[in-house]
This record gives sequence, C-alpha cells and structure tokens, in this order.
Amino acid sequence: MATQAHCLSYSGCNFLRQRLVLSTLSGRPVKIRKIRARDDNPGLRGTTLYYQPGLLYGGSMEHDCSVLRSIGYYLESLLCLAPFMKHPLRIVLRGVTNDQVDPSVDVLKATALPLLKQFGIDGESFELKVVRRGMPPGGGGEVFFSCPVRKVLKPIQLIDPGKIKRIRGTAYSVRVSPQMANRIVDSARSILNKFIPDIYIYTDHMKGINSGKSPGFGLSLVAETTNGTFLSAELASNPQGQGAAMLPEDLGRNCARLLLEEIYRGGCVDSTNQSLALLLMTLGQQDVSKVLLGPLSPYTIEFLRHLKSFFQIMFKIETKPCGEELKGGDKVLMTCVGVGFSNLSKTLK
Amino acid sequence: MDAKDQKKHRKKNSGPKAEKKKKRHLQDLQLGDEEDARKRNPKAFAVQSAVRMARSFHSEFFFFFFKHTNRTQDLKTKKHHIPVVDRTPLEPPPIVVVVMGPPKVGKSTLIQCLIRNFTRQKLTEIRGPVTIVSGKKRRLTIIECDCDINMMIDLAKVADLVLMLIDASFGFEMETFEFLNICQVHGFPKIMGVLTHLDSFKHNKQLKKTKKRLKHRFWTEVYPGAKLFYLSGMVHGEYQNQEIHNLGRFITVMKFRPLTWQTSHPYILADRMEDLTNPEDIRTNTKCDRKVSLYGYLRGAHLKNKSQVHIPGVGDFAVSDVSFLPDPCALPEQQKKRCLNEKEKLVYAPLSGVGGVLYDKDAVYVDLGGSHGFQESEEVRPTHELVQSLISTHATIDAKMASSRVTLFSDSKPLGSEDIDNQGQWMPKEEKQVDLKTGRVRRKAIFGDEEEEDESGDSDDEDDEEMSEGDRLENNSSDDETEEGQDARVTDKQYTSGKGIKRQKLEMEEDFEVDLPAFADSDDDLERSSVEEEAEEADESSEEEDSTAEEERDILESKAIREGGKPELLHTDDSSDSLNVEKSLTRKKATFTTSDSGHCTAEEAFASEDEPEENSSLSTEEEDSENEEAIRKKFPKPSQVVSCQKLGSENLIDETSDIEDLLKEEDYKEENNYSTDTSGALKWKEDLSRKAAEAFLRQQQTTPNLRKLIYGTVTEDNEEEDGDNGEELGGLFRVSQPASECKHKADSLDCSRFHVEAPHDWDLEEVMNSIRDCFVTGKWEEDKDAAKILAEDEELYGDFEDLETGAMHKGKPGPDTQIEDVEEEVKEEIDPSAEESAKEKLLDKKRKLKEMFDAEYDEGESTYFDDLKGEMQKQAQLNRAEFEDQDDEARVQYEGFRPGMYVRIEIENVPCEFVVNFDPHYPIILGGLGNSEGNVGYVQMRLKKHRWYKKILKSRDPIIFSVGWRRFQTIPLYYIEDHNGRQRLLKYTPQHMHCGATFWGPITPQGTGFLAIQSVSGNMPDFRIAATGVVLDLDKSIKIVKKLKLTGFPYKIFKNTSFIKGMFNSALEVAKFEGAVIRTVSGIRGQIKKALRAPEGAFRATFEDKLLMSDIVFMRTWYPVSVPAFYNPVTSLLKPVGEKDTWSGMRTTGQLRLAHGIKLKANKDSLYKPIVRQKKHFNSLHIPKALQKALPFKSKPKTQAKAGKTPKDRVRPAVIREPQERKILALLDALSTVHSEKMKKAKEQRHLHNKEHFKMKQKEEEEKLKRQKDLRKKLYRIQGQKERRNQKSSLKGPEEQLK
Repeated sequence: MATQAHCLSYSGCNFLRQRLVLSTLSGRPVKIRKIRARDDNPGLRGTTLYYQPGLLYGGSMEHDCSVLRSIGYYLESLLCLAPFMKHPLRIVLRGVTNDQVDPSVDVLKATALPLLKQFGIDGESFELKVVRRGMPPGGGGEVFFSCPVRKVLKPIQLIDPGKIKRIRGTAYSVRVSPQMANRIVDSARSILNKFIPDIYIYTDHMKGINSGKSPGFGLSLVAETTNGTFLSAELASNPQGQGAAMLPEDLGRNCARLLLEEIYRGGCVDSTNQSLALLLMTLGQQDVSKVLLGPLSPYTIEFLRHLKSFFQIMFKIETKPCGEELKGGDKVLMTCVGVGFSNLSKTLK
Repeated sequence: MDAKDQKKHRKKNSGPKAEKKKKRHLQDLQLGDEEDARKRNPKAFAVQSAVRMARSFHSEFFFFFFKHTNRTQDLKTKKHHIPVVDRTPLEPPPIVVVVMGPPKVGKSTLIQCLIRNFTRQKLTEIRGPVTIVSGKKRRLTIIECDCDINMMIDLAKVADLVLMLIDASFGFEMETFEFLNICQVHGFPKIMGVLTHLDSFKHNKQLKKTKKRLKHRFWTEVYPGAKLFYLSGMVHGEYQNQEIHNLGRFITVMKFRPLTWQTSHPYILADRMEDLTNPEDIRTNTKCDRKVSLYGYLRGAHLKNKSQVHIPGVGDFAVSDVSFLPDPCALPEQQKKRCLNEKEKLVYAPLSGVGGVLYDKDAVYVDLGGSHGFQESEEVRPTHELVQSLISTHATIDAKMASSRVTLFSDSKPLGSEDIDNQGQWMPKEEKQVDLKTGRVRRKAIFGDEEEEDESGDSDDEDDEEMSEGDRLENNSSDDETEEGQDARVTDKQYTSGKGIKRQKLEMEEDFEVDLPAFADSDDDLERSSVEEEAEEADESSEEEDSTAEEERDILESKAIREGGKPELLHTDDSSDSLNVEKSLTRKKATFTTSDSGHCTAEEAFASEDEPEENSSLSTEEEDSENEEAIRKKFPKPSQVVSCQKLGSENLIDETSDIEDLLKEEDYKEENNYSTDTSGALKWKEDLSRKAAEAFLRQQQTTPNLRKLIYGTVTEDNEEEDGDNGEELGGLFRVSQPASECKHKADSLDCSRFHVEAPHDWDLEEVMNSIRDCFVTGKWEEDKDAAKILAEDEELYGDFEDLETGAMHKGKPGPDTQIEDVEEEVKEEIDPSAEESAKEKLLDKKRKLKEMFDAEYDEGESTYFDDLKGEMQKQAQLNRAEFEDQDDEARVQYEGFRPGMYVRIEIENVPCEFVVNFDPHYPIILGGLGNSEGNVGYVQMRLKKHRWYKKILKSRDPIIFSVGWRRFQTIPLYYIEDHNGRQRLLKYTPQHMHCGATFWGPITPQGTGFLAIQSVSGNMPDFRIAATGVVLDLDKSIKIVKKLKLTGFPYKIFKNTSFIKGMFNSALEVAKFEGAVIRTVSGIRGQIKKALRAPEGAFRATFEDKLLMSDIVFMRTWYPVSVPAFYNPVTSLLKPVGEKDTWSGMRTTGQLRLAHGIKLKANKDSLYKPIVRQKKHFNSLHIPKALQKALPFKSKPKTQAKAGKTPKDRVRPAVIREPQERKILALLDALSTVHSEKMKKAKEQRHLHNKEHFKMKQKEEEEKLKRQKDLRKKLYRIQGQKERRNQKSSLKGPEEQLK
C-alpha cells in the first residue's frame, strides 16, 4: 500500500494562502487547527480545516471574490498556481480591485507579471486586465487574468537590480471628481522629480458601470530599472464611511514616499512579490537560482519556513551590506537549488 | 641601465624592408593581395555546378535550395539532442555495471575476472554489488543480474552500463531480449554484448558465421554498430587475461548519456543493510516493524532529508534520517601519475564481506585480513555489550566518569580518569565482534569517555587531536601503516559529522524546553563554534605542547561540570531514544585538526561567515552563561533542562571582560526583541513602534542571525512531533507554554504587504542622498560609468587603420598610447614595471578586441541550438561553483545530499520480512520520489501490446506494471479515442495498434515509460513482456464510456408515429432522452418525442416510415465506466530466500475459474445446434382471370397442358396377351439377351486383340528404329573417319590430296 505523503499540521488562520498553495504544489495534505479558536465568531463553520490536494485543472472560470479582501489577495495565490494547471487559466474575478490592505491589481500587474516572465512564463495569453474598478466597501470591480501553463520553469539569476530609469504610475479615481487624480499626480511628482525626470503617471478615471459601487481614489507607483526590476508602492483612500477623509495631495505625497522607501529597501524583486519569486525559484529545475532581495518581510520569512517544511528546501541567505555607494539599505542574497518540480497536471500529447 | 642608454628603435617607413613588412601584414589580413588567384580571376572561381556547390557548401542558408545539402543538414540535425544542463557532480558516483545473462553463461566468472583485473584481488563469492576503483577518475559498481524478472526490471532502472552475456554456442535466449526491452522502456543505458562459450566451436568458419549472425541480430536490437565483445575460451576456469583487460579498458573509458529518469530522481543501490531495531522489541514481538539503515552511493539527483523513497519490492517509506559517511571506496587523490598504485585499487563489497573498514555513524568496523591473524586469539565479546551495559547502568555520569577505565591496547592496563588527567590521551577502545552471518571477526572502535559528550565545544578539537594521534599510535602497531592511518583519519571525520547532527538535535530540544527566543542559545552555539575555529587555528600554529596546555583547562572545565552539572543528559523518554543517546555518547566529539573546516557543522560554517560576531565573541562560554542568566532574570520560571555545558560554563564567569558583557547584553536584547516584532510587524496598525522596527531590521543585518531567524526557530511541523515529549517534567507534569504571542501571530491578518514601520524623512537631504545612486541620474559604478566606458571605447576604437587605403588613423594620444604599438621592439625599451602593466593592458585590450570580434562574427554563425547549449553550460558551471567553497555539512542543508556521496539512510517501519528474508543477491534500490509522486491517482497512458507477446490483454484483468521505480499490480481499462474525442472502452487491446489505458496507481510524471507483465512468478514459456508504453496524463476526471443499446418494441403504429414500450422504465427516463435518435433494425430512423402515460416508460416516437409490429426499435447510448481503485505493490523482496521470484498477486477471473473448475455459463442462444432446414413450401401462382385475358398468348397459362384426363373415347384399351404370345415374347426376349451378351463378349475380345496387335506393332517399330540408329551410327563413324582422313591428308599436302 502506498503511504500517502504525511500530512502537515498547523494552527491559526494566518498564512492560510501559503499553506494551501504549497500543499497543492507539493501534493502533501495539510491540516489547520485552531482557526480563531478563541473568537466568539470564528467566521468558519468550524475551527479546523483539512485539505487534501488534487491536480490543478484550469480552464475558463469566473469567480465573485468576497469584498472583505481585495482581488489582489486572491490573485497572489493564483499567480503561484496558474503556471501549473492542466489547461491555461482564464479567469474573471469580481470584487474589490484596490484597497488599503492587499496589493492592488495594478501593482501586481506591474510587478508580478514581469517577474513571472523572468521564469519563462510568457506568451500572448499572459495578461492581467482591469476591466472595472471597484473600491471597498461596495466592490464591483472586475479583473481578467489569463496565464499559460508550463511544464518546467527556468532558473533565474537576479543579482543586479540595475538603476531606476523611469517611474510610472496610475492615479485612479472612481465616483469622485476626476480632478482628484490630477491632484494626486501633481503632489507625487513634486517629490519624485527630485530624483528622476522620467515620470509619467496615468490618470485613470472610470465612469458608469466601470467605476464600481463605491467612491474612492488612489495611486500606485512603479519604478523600473535598467535591468527590468520593478519596485512599487501604492496608497488608496479610506473606504467610504470609514476613517477620515483623505486629501489627494497627502495621498500622493505619502505614496511617493512609500516608493522611495521601497527603493531604499531595493532588491531585484518588489517586497510584495518576494515570496512569489522564492516559490518559483524553489519550483525550478535542480539548478541554482539566485535573487537579490531587500529586507525580508515577515510574510516572506514565514513563507521560507513553509517552503522548508513542504519542500525540504533551505535558502542560502547572505546579507549584502550597502557599499560605499549610496544605494539604500542592506540587501539579502537568496540562493537555492530548485527541487526539480515538474507540472504533473499538464497533458502530454 | 643599459636599456636607458640604448637608442630608441625607429621603425622603417621606407625601403625594401618596410615594403616587405607592409606586404606581409596585408597578407596576414588576407586583403589587398593582388597575387591571389581568386581575386585576380574571379570568373574562374564562379559557381558552375549548383549541385557540386551544394555538396561542398553546408551552410544552412543554402539548404533550402539544394537537395544534397538538405540531406547533410538533416543528418546533422538528427544528431542533435535537446541540450540539458549537465548536473554530474565533480566526484561522480561509481558507475553501475549490470552483468546480465541467462544462467550458466559465465556472469560470476566475468565479474570475478573483472575485479581481479582491476584490483588484483580475488573474490570467491560475490553477493550484492561490488564497488571497485577502476581508474583515476572512475569507479565501478558491478552487480550480477539473474533471470528473475523482478531483478531484471529493478536493475535496468539503475544501470549505467549493461554487460549482456550471450552464450554463443546456444545463441540468444529469451531473457536477453526481455532485458533489452526492459531497458528500452526505462531509458536506454549503454549496452555492451559479451559473447562467451566461443571455445565450443570446432570449426573456425562456423565460429565466424555465428559471430556475424549474432552481431547483426544484436545490432537490430540495440543500435547498428553496438559494441559486441568476444571472450574466446577459458584458461584454468577464467577468461583470458588480455581479453578481460581490454574489456575493462572499454568500460573505464566509456562515456554515458544522461537518462531522464535517472537524472531527475535520487537513487541508491544499497550495498549494505543493518537492522537497528531495538532487540527488546524483537524479543517481545518477532514480527514487529523494523528500523533499518541502508548504505550506498547516492546517484542521480540531490536527495533531501525526510523525503520519500520507494524500495522496489518492498514499498514506499519516508526517510527518517540521512547522513553522509566518508567514502569507503574513494577515488585516489589528485596526482599526475598515469596509473594507480596498488593501494589505490580499492574494492568495497560489504555484502560479500570485502571492504576492510566499515564506517557507521557512530562506529567503525574493521575487517581484519590475514595479516592480522595474530589478534584473533583475543576473546570474543558479545555484540552490544557496551551499549547494554550503558542501558542497564544506574550510576550517575560523574560517578561513572570517576570509575571509568579505558583500555588503550587490547592487552594493556586499563586507564582510569585520573590517568587521563595525567596523560591527556584519550583513545578509542577496541572491541572484537564476530559477525554472526559471515563469522568474520571485526574490531569495533568504541570511545570510552562518553561523559564528555556534551562538554564545551572548545575541548573538542584537542580531544580530536589526541584521538587522531592515538589512532596513529595504534596504527603503528598494525602492519599496514599508512592505510590504517588514513582510515583513522576518516574515522575522525566521521565523528565530527556525527557530532554535528547530534548537536542540532539537542538544540531543537532546547528550543522547545526553554521558553525564550529560540535562537538565543543557538546563537551561543554559533559563537562557541567560532571559538572552536580559533582554537583550531591556534592548534595549527602551535604543536602538541600548546594543545596539552589547553587540555588542562579542558579538564578543569570538565571537573567543573562534575561539580555543578546535574546528570540530566538522559532526558529522553523511550528506551530506543536513550539507546541513541548512549550511542552518541560513545562518540567522542572531534574536529579535524587541519585548517580546512571541511567537516565542521553547519553552525560552525555560518559562524565563520559571520565576521563581526566572531570578533566580538572571544570567550564564548562566558557569553553563553551571561545569556543564560539574563534569560533567567527575565523569565523567573526555571527552565526544565539545563544542559551541562551551560552549567559548566557558569563556573568560568570570572573570566569575562566588561566589554564583552556589554556586547552580550545587546545581543540578547536584539534577539529578545525579535519575538515581539515579528508579531509586531503584523499587527502594524496598532503598534507602530519605531524602535521595534529598527531592531527588526538590525536583526536581519547579520547572516547567521537571519538564517536562525528563519530556520532556527520553532517550526510548526516539529512542534507537533516534539510537543509532547519535550516538556514533560519528571514524567508527571507538563509545562504549559505561555505562547500567547505565537497564538496572536497565528491568528493575525494574512497579508503579504511589507509595511514601512519607521518611515524615513524623505525631506532631509542625507536621507535623499541615501538612495540617489539607485537612479540612472546618480553615480555609476566604476565599470559601468558612461564616461568611463566612453573613454575605454575611445581607447579601443581610437586608432585604427583603414585597411583599404592602408592609412593609419591615430586616436587621441592617451597616457598609454605608446604601448598600443603591437610590434615587439617597442616593448623592449620600457622598464620592467611599466612593461608588466603594459602587457596586462595589452592583453586586456586583445581580449576585448577578440570578444568584440566574436560577438560580431559568431552571432551570425551561432544557431539557436548553440545558444541554448551555451546557456545550459553556463548554468551547469554556476551549479557547480555556487556551493563549492562550503563544507559538506552546510551544503547538504542547502542542496540536499548530492550525488556521489556515500550515504546512510535510516528507514523506520520496514516490514520484518525485509530483514528476516534478506538475500544479498537481490538488489535493494532506494528510489527517491518527487513531489506528489508518492500519491495515488488515476494515470492515463498510451499502451501497445508487445508484438512478441502471444496473447492479447483484457480490460479489468489485473496486470503488473513497472512505472518509475515501482512494480505494482493494478486493474487497467483499455480504451480508444474516437474521432469526436470520446474515449470508448475496449474489451481487449488491439493487435498492432496503440490504445489508451487508465488505471488507479501511483502518480508518475508524464513521459515516463512503462512496461506491463502478466505475472512475475515462475518461468513462463514465452516472451514475458506483455505491453509497453508511456504515461500521458494524470487526470482524475477522465471519462471512459462503453456502448449501451436500449431496445423497445412498438405496440401501436399510426402512419409514421408509433408508440414504443420496453425501452425505459419511467417517464422521467424518457424525459431525459427526449429528442434522442432511435432506429429500427431494418434501418428506419426516428426520434423520441414524448412520454406516454399508459404503460410506464412508453413513449411516442416518429419515424421516417411506417413501422411494422415486428420491428425492433433501438437507441445507441454511452455509459461511463469507473476505473477500479486497485493498487497492489509487488512485494517480491519480502518473500523468503529462494522464493523471491514466486510473488503472485491478484488472479484474473480466468485463472480463478481454472483453479476452481468453474465453467463459464454459456448463453443458450450462443450454443451451436444442428442446422435443420425446413422444407420450403411455395404456393402456386395464381393469375387473375382478367389478367389472363390481357396477357399475350405466349404468357397465357396453357389450359391444354393441364388437361391430364383423356376422354373415355380416347383412352386406348389395355392389351392383354395370350399365353402363347407371352411365351413367344419371352423367348424373343431371351434370345435378344443372349445375342447382346455374345456381341459384348466379341467386342471385348476384339478390343484385346487390338491392344496386343498395337503392342506388337510398337515393338517392331522400336526395333526398327534401333536398327536404323545403329546403322546411322555406323555410317556416321565411317563418315567421320573419312573426314578425318581427309583433313589429315589436307595437312599433308596437295599431292596427297590429289591422290
């Protein structure tokens, strides 16, 4: 009798996505106990979850995401899984496109997609499109994501982030005055112009059905380097009826400062996509992959631990102190040998 | 001095010499040469024949146009393989040579001869794999393969080279072909045929013919030109030396192509197996699951600890522990010699009882050869005496320490601890053991001072120093001095690695027990180890005197332990664990004395990386204790288990310096902060403390901290395992952990964003400056600065000569322009230092020029293939280089155990039959499984019945598949895909076609080959491989359907509408099939319309024509079938010795029926009956009167014909004769009869007469002819004589002629 890969057990609701994604990819079942066990209203039908992974099927799908979390929350997991489906994934997600908690669709489009391309996931059908914008609490946004499938991934060597050559961004406003976006752009530029002249921030004002159900505005900024690294920052206005009203000027300035922080942290991968990059490195062939990162986020650190327990993979972690040149904070060089993963779902014809 | 005085050389610009030089220069460049015929007369070299041109010109540009080139190109590209990254390690594992052949063909003899050829040793009995060093860079693992199909399948999967022995006097046997087919399926290893029994041929011609015949048959199976080796005859029961030597040479230089399955999976061909089960468990239950350790070279890919393996013939297991051991059959050290010396020709075959020294994790077994015979007189002790005594002991460690005695030499006086104090010499104890199986005497080296196990780290290296010395001492006594010395050294290595593992384990436990930031004490480890290194360095510089000095300090410390430390080492709970501990205690920690830290633990390795840490931590013990104290202050709760080292170190606090104290304080704080701010980082909204964030960043600043932070802390998966046994206090109470923070973290918000905790003030100039260089507008690095690059380009391109005109263009005269002149004369004049730099610069420039040239010209040439190859090569280089400088302990953690290592794998819960029925002749393979390859699911494959297999295969008959590493029985369903994508079930596999097959079994990656056999037991008369194919898909939702015909009968018929009944049972069923196409047997098509109320299940249907009541209506439908979930691994290795080829799994229905004598109940309608034809009765044709009238006369029924009755008047009366008349008539009758008889006789006579006459005539004729012939003969003779005479006379002359 074949022994099933023994089950991993965790407790608590945090890092649920990581656990489910890694469980699916590694084929090991996972059991999560004590999910908000002390809460009066745990939110689930129980406090324990057992997940037995199967194979990923893919194909065309539609999903209405909960408006409590933005689409980015769902997309982050999808980005990890999409290249390993049986059929290329084409999915329409509906819900909140931009909020203050999760990385927005715009940022993922600007940073995660180029990152996946580094691993050889590319093609015409690889796209992420914001069809409608929806702000919390109402939502009403729509995003189309399609991704080709790959049998194996390429190893990467991202050691030199290069220098930032341009900054792009999107200032969006829905169900508010279109002037808001312009005000955001002006204020953001006022800070960023001190560093680089090549800045262009698109103003995206959606109307009618494309503007979702709640008013709001926000800004996402992306800095592109000469070596194809994308660093991002974003801010969104407070949801309607929650918190004080935000001035678009403040938002723009703060967002620009956040981008500068991100640049200070640096690395070849944006801080939100660290875990994605590490995952895809792990899932490569049995070759050495290297990536230079900024300081590791707590999420990434937990992700590394999970990677170890699911794939028995350990990263070689070397800190690279900032040199004599003024190039922001310390960096971390992550090196690993891929586990030799291959997409078991893909059909051989 | 002289150089300065000399006049500077001036180049000649005119004159014959200058001319000549210029010309030569141009000629070198192949330009401007008017003498060149090609240039001078271009028409003569124009293309004249396109075909010839194409033949000679193999550019891909042309191959579209010319057939020939096309062909060559085709041939060329056919040779291309998809380039793969070369992942062979620097020190590759031994090559697996499988010697295969039918019985009595000479396999064992060949192996023996090969081993003797390479090692000059003779093995009488060969069991299991034998590893030998065959050359400077190659080792071989030779294994014999019998005709058991299980073994053949398993070995084909791990073979690198197959020596296929063929009895030439007999020819090919079925096993040979079976094995070839197995190989083909599981990736094709190199195959070399070896013909034996060639001396049985008497005639040379016969031999030659046989050789040729066999060779060509072999080529068709393998590939044309495959190597076939001939072993002609035996000498004294062995093959001829020269031939074996040649064969060995072939094997040693052979190159191998990487096989997909082998390179993507780790695997081990185990050459040793030990049972580690607690003897007590076996005593109480002889059938308890066993714990075994298996040893062997790791091959293929990297193996990760705790991964899953499959042992073919046993089943799937999770690896409970992996460790690497020193290579028992190592390649010789790098040297420039051409061949190996005798000592380097190693042979290692523990199953056959060869190999000298056997290394275990915590013991060394030395096999004594004949030269050590004098020691055999020593008394033989029980195997686990020491261990047993340790288990049963009740004395505390310090008591034992005081009383412990160590025997240095087998016959010397035992030493007590006080002696050791005096001498400072610790030695391994030797214990004689008799291997029960082989009766061999082994020397087990056991180290006496277990108590020092958990001693402080810095004593280790000295201990080791002495140990190795001791070993050397001991070795001096032995005969083979150098070899043993090497062994001893290896032993030391072994101990170190073992210690590293144990250390980690201890750490883990501490992590659980002490409730404080877990990396605190592990950090201490780090520092301690760094001191170890320092100590090592010190050792290096100073000799033994130094070490003895340190040694004293050591002993002081150890005493301190005895005073202060409580013997709480044995805090494990179950007996097996305690046994483990004891075992580990027997080990003495040791560090290799040489400077390379190749064998220190992972922590040590990291410590060495961490330089600032190292500098600060001068005395680690103190720091350790400091931390410990600080912790205790903070958490007044006593930590349950206090390790000896910490207590011991406490006694040395007085040595601490204040600065260090401060440092430690800081360290501690930092670490303590972590627990708050990892959680704090997540509850960022509530707590935005800047301090915490800064501390967090600081946390990440040093490597080992970061590594500890990530991997060193409590990981959840360990928590569940160790959660129970870790916190038990005295076996009664459990300490509840105040893990509120942890809990909080566990239930906090799941968000990947990394929030800025302490934003910088981006309005400040210096803050802004900190990132200014991240932008293109900022300052660039030296090598990338645009201005610099431009300047370099200037230097490069600055001066050039126009080759057409021959004019020189000078660039700006830079600081080093005078060097740019390529001519040698210039160089001579420059002073040496300048010359050096100039040379360098020149070289640099040349290199750059070459690069540019390459870039320019190669780009056009290089194809996609070349690029891809280059890329792969680069990756391979990176793979090799990345972890090269790290020691194995650290490497193993990052990349897993790499192929080429000799590893020891512990596996638990192995069925007892595996150990009890262990047969060394059968290979034990540990095949590593990839992610989710251990899972079971539905597998789809493309399958073809083997053309040599006599039967066809039936769906749902259990069959044994060999896929990946596994052999298992399962129930497949065969199907074929119709044109519309429907997968239709097949009852039997088609004869000469592929079909699909799906079964429930282990998930295996797509593209893996497989083979199927119906039974692995016994000998089947015919070819055994039933089918082969490839895995296509792993789809759980596959839908295989079979045809289902529903029939019904009309019960009411209107015009084109009928009511049909009997097809369905309810109106609901009908509703589901509304609109479906139905048909009658006679071919009338129709459609289901609607259910009827009256008989249940009846419906109204319309047809294209009116039905008859006798018509049968049917409908074709498809019914999905489910794949039976049956998966049964072939557990042939668990069978008793000698019966391993008798495994039989589930039987087919046919076999069961045969066994039980159950006849199939035949359908009565299908039985054959005598055919009885009924007489056909035709009615007469009746033509209506009206029609008769209208018919022409010809066709009219003729009425008179029918008139049978004659009228009375026409009826003639009957003639009645008178008696007289009657008599006359009778007489006449008689007479006529007589006459006719007479005539008949006469005729016969005449006929006879005629015949005779004819014969006579013929005879006469013949005689006549004969006569004539004779006459003619005579006549001709006379004529001939006459003619001859005439001729003669004509030769004589005319006179005679005239006469």
